[in-house]
Amino acid sequence: MEQILANGLYLGAQYALIALGLTLIFSLMNVLNFAHGQMYVMGGFVTYTVVAQFGLPFIVGLLASAVVLAVIGAVCERFLFRTVIKRSKREESTMLLAAGIAFFLDAVILLVFGEKQRGVPKIVDGVFNWDMRLIMPYDRILIGALAIAMVVGFILFMQYSRTGRAMRALAQDRMAAQLMGVDVDRYSMIGFALGAMLAGIVGGLLVTITGINLGMGGPTSVKAFLMIMIGGAGVISGAIAGGFILGMMESIGLTLLAAYGDVTYLAIFATLLVFLAIRPQGLMGKPWG
Amino acid sequence: MTTPKIPNSVPTSFGNSAASRPGSLGPARLAGVAAFLALVFVAVPLGIAASGRWDFYYTLTSVALLSIASAGVWLTFYIGRINIGQGAYALAGGYVSAVLITQVGMSFWLTLPLAGLACAGLAVLIGLPILRLRGVYFAMVTLVLTEVARLSALALPVTNGAKGITSIPLPGELSVLGLTIIPDFATLEDPKLAFYLVAVALMCLSYLALWRIVNSRLGHLCRSLQQNEELAASIGVNTAHLRVLAYAISSFFGGVAGAMFVSISQSIYPSSFQVADSVNFMLNCFLGGLGYVFGPMLGTLLLYFGWDLLFTTGQYQMLIYSSAMIVLMLVLPNGLLSLFDRKGGGK
Amino acid sequence: MQRRTFIATAGLSLAFSLTASVAAWAENATLKIGFVGVTSGPAAAWGISNQRSMETRAAWLNELGGVQIGDTTYNIEIVAFDDQKDPKRAIAGMEKMAQDGIHYVVGPNVDDGAAAVRPVAEQNGIMYFPYAFPKELYTAPASNAILGMVANYQSGPAIYKHLMETKGVKKVAFVAANESDPLSQRDSGVEAAKALGLEVVSDSVTYQVDTTDFTPVLLPVIQSAPDLLVLSGVSPANAPQLIRSARELGYTGLISTETAQDAQVLQEGAGELANGFISVGGASTPELASDAMKEFVERYTAMFGEYNDESNTKVYALEYIIETLKANPAAIDNVEEFKKTMDTFEAANPFMVGDAKLTYVGTSSFGQKRQVSVPLVVNEFQNGAFQTLFVAKVD
Repeated sequence: MEQILANGLYLGAQYALIALGLTLIFSLMNVLNFAHGQMYVMGGFVTYTVVAQFGLPFIVGLLASAVVLAVIGAVCERFLFRTVIKRSKREESTMLLAAGIAFFLDAVILLVFGEKQRGVPKIVDGVFNWDMRLIMPYDRILIGALAIAMVVGFILFMQYSRTGRAMRALAQDRMAAQLMGVDVDRYSMIGFALGAMLAGIVGGLLVTITGINLGMGGPTSVKAFLMIMIGGAGVISGAIAGGFILGMMESIGLTLLAAYGDVTYLAIFATLLVFLAIRPQGLMGKPWG
Repeated sequence: MTTPKIPNSVPTSFGNSAASRPGSLGPARLAGVAAFLALVFVAVPLGIAASGRWDFYYTLTSVALLSIASAGVWLTFYIGRINIGQGAYALAGGYVSAVLITQVGMSFWLTLPLAGLACAGLAVLIGLPILRLRGVYFAMVTLVLTEVARLSALALPVTNGAKGITSIPLPGELSVLGLTIIPDFATLEDPKLAFYLVAVALMCLSYLALWRIVNSRLGHLCRSLQQNEELAASIGVNTAHLRVLAYAISSFFGGVAGAMFVSISQSIYPSSFQVADSVNFMLNCFLGGLGYVFGPMLGTLLLYFGWDLLFTTGQYQMLIYSSAMIVLMLVLPNGLLSLFDRKGGGK
Repeated sequence: MQRRTFIATAGLSLAFSLTASVAAWAENATLKIGFVGVTSGPAAAWGISNQRSMETRAAWLNELGGVQIGDTTYNIEIVAFDDQKDPKRAIAGMEKMAQDGIHYVVGPNVDDGAAAVRPVAEQNGIMYFPYAFPKELYTAPASNAILGMVANYQSGPAIYKHLMETKGVKKVAFVAANESDPLSQRDSGVEAAKALGLEVVSDSVTYQVDTTDFTPVLLPVIQSAPDLLVLSGVSPANAPQLIRSARELGYTGLISTETAQDAQVLQEGAGELANGFISVGGASTPELASDAMKEFVERYTAMFGEYNDESNTKVYALEYIIETLKANPAAIDNVEEFKKTMDTFEAANPFMVGDAKLTYVGTSSFGQKRQVSVPLVVNEFQNGAFQTLFVAKVD
């Protein structure tokens, strides 16, 4: 039991961090960023390159991932999404753009980083073993703690910094924010960069444990969608809740349903459908986000 | 902190082609349809025979079938829902056809409408709860549906699980009162042309049906739904009923396309239609233009053929393909057919 | 591996091979060999290692002046099509090959693709070499597919038997991704294990390929306390993570798989935890590799910047095509001639030391010779490299 909870917590922490970036971008611009998973993969590869090939410390790699992805995010917003949003009649058109960017990043990652699975050596050795009741390698504990710290840091940033306040105002009511003198374009760009950066940081963190490969982008996006559906789209607390809930569901489901084969994810999806039928806006979302 | 914006936007600019014109068949339109039919049934086969590019038959067959599925997605767009789950119905339709052929011994031609109907029935069951969702919630739930379909195909006994269903016989003879309408495909020297003709005929029928729906009372009601559901409901439109109906028709298209694909590949696996397919169906609609009945057909042609033509660029194929997609989006964010949009123009 | 050099080399070599194939040996006729497989997206590694080993070998042969088949000397040209792991695209790829007048195609890489291209291949007279295991592909009435490697239902029993005899394995557990290929391989693995009298303690646990944490997946498997953990059809991306999670959960038994893996990937992803991991490989371990194999690895590395050990098992299909065509030049545009030759064909295996032969086998599995005979080389991972555990023959 302890083991299941610990696994769920660890999974939940990393999921929450992935979902945060997606939900931030969605709340600011109403863009469902299909390329979020690819940004995560990109972040993983950047950290890998810095750490495993240039031989620099892990923290440098993590910073590099954050910077590179923030730049990519800013560029995407400034030159692509902003133009398309201004010119298109239906906001959903950005989905095609986001999918195009996802394909593009996939192609770039394949050409630059190759097709192989990559990973960096463990940053901490050893395994925490409490009487065989709870087994957790130290590096997982470290990464889990780092992820939780980042989530907390992000909440504080959004809550107390000037930029954070501006972005919250923007998310609440774009028009009103603009009338109150918030530079909408500037904060949209910062928000997008921040969202992409979060994806990159998770990629960087996880490359030490799960490694990274080209194919993880699409499925990661889908999982992130799941989380923000559970929690409610465009709500920070919802993304965090969604991440932890999905992590727990996977951990518990995989243990309890192991004997029945492939049904864990079917069960998760079915639960989700029923849940959304009862509460269409997720746990904390406002209706029709 | 959530967004107050409702994704569906400006009602007045929703296309000016079939959508806002009356559903009458004027002479100009008749001529257009005749030209289109002549193109797909006569000019294309002649062109292929002349150029010797026999491989285009399969490419165009694929385009025709994928555009049927995309037409379904377009119809859900029409009631204001983003559907990224058409792959699920294509897979279900494929399995219905495959199971009926291999285990019941039914003729393929009978399984084709049955596959569509089965999917429509399934869509009613699934649609009743999930069609209450809107915007991104509906989009994301449908995205999950494709994965559910794949996992179900792996887990259900009737689908033969991971091993798939293989060695499905080619479509047999279809005859009415002793008169052969479609010959047995197995007796044909090369069934490529036959598959092409069937697929294109199905495509024409589907788009005819779609066009009729859009220009009927049902289409008007759908538009009212797309623009404001609460308002539509308040003036007495049975929105729940309408949504499910549109979704069922949409899934019918998906099922038919899936079944037809199975007859070409003569096999089906849980991975025959994946999340990527569902996303592509949606992208086809966006690319063609959401305001135009024929948008998804054009979008499919461009996206599918585009990839095919880039095959010579080797490892840069994906890079060029995606760059082209992004550029297209920047230049024509409302879809290709918005080029012909005289009234609307840029917002 | 230096990535920058890799990009530079890849770019240069591409430009070079393009110009070279057009200009330098223009006097020779061209023999086109097709490749239809997945070279983008999640499973790109399978197809890319495949395509690159073909391109490496083709460039090498062309550099030597081409291949003489009958009275004509040919340069080999590889025509590659990316099917994106989509069976519908795979059909389109096969149509492209037919259009190009190609009769010999390597691929597709997965079960659904291989099954989907069958009608096209048979209608257009194409022999194809899938890396997919379903028996229907190779048993009559199917006749145009040739299994390009050792199937897991052939290698599995050999590995289990070896481990029973040498390591005293009694209890075995299976884990597979919930996708067609791995699940089919798991089922046939379980069957083989039972036939050998092993006790199967867990065979129902599956995982999503995009799993980022395998601890919850493996927990129930490890609790069933097997002596041998089989990772059925595991992709190179998942293998290191599974190994690492199993070891970190305190599992001390053996771990094996029947698919080919890459040493570098294992080393990066699992480090010393992967020591003792058993997988199937080609003949590139130092004890077995001939000079030709060593040169192949060198050329591959020079051309693409980094070798992929999965290529060891994928170097053979092209060799078989060319050697069989040499044995019967009439087969160059007539696959019926090719099929006739297959029954008696025999040539030396250039990639392995000793007097190993290239022949077609498969009679016991498929009732007809529809499989290339490659040595079943079972490797053990030790400190960043593979060591040969044992070698067996398949029929």
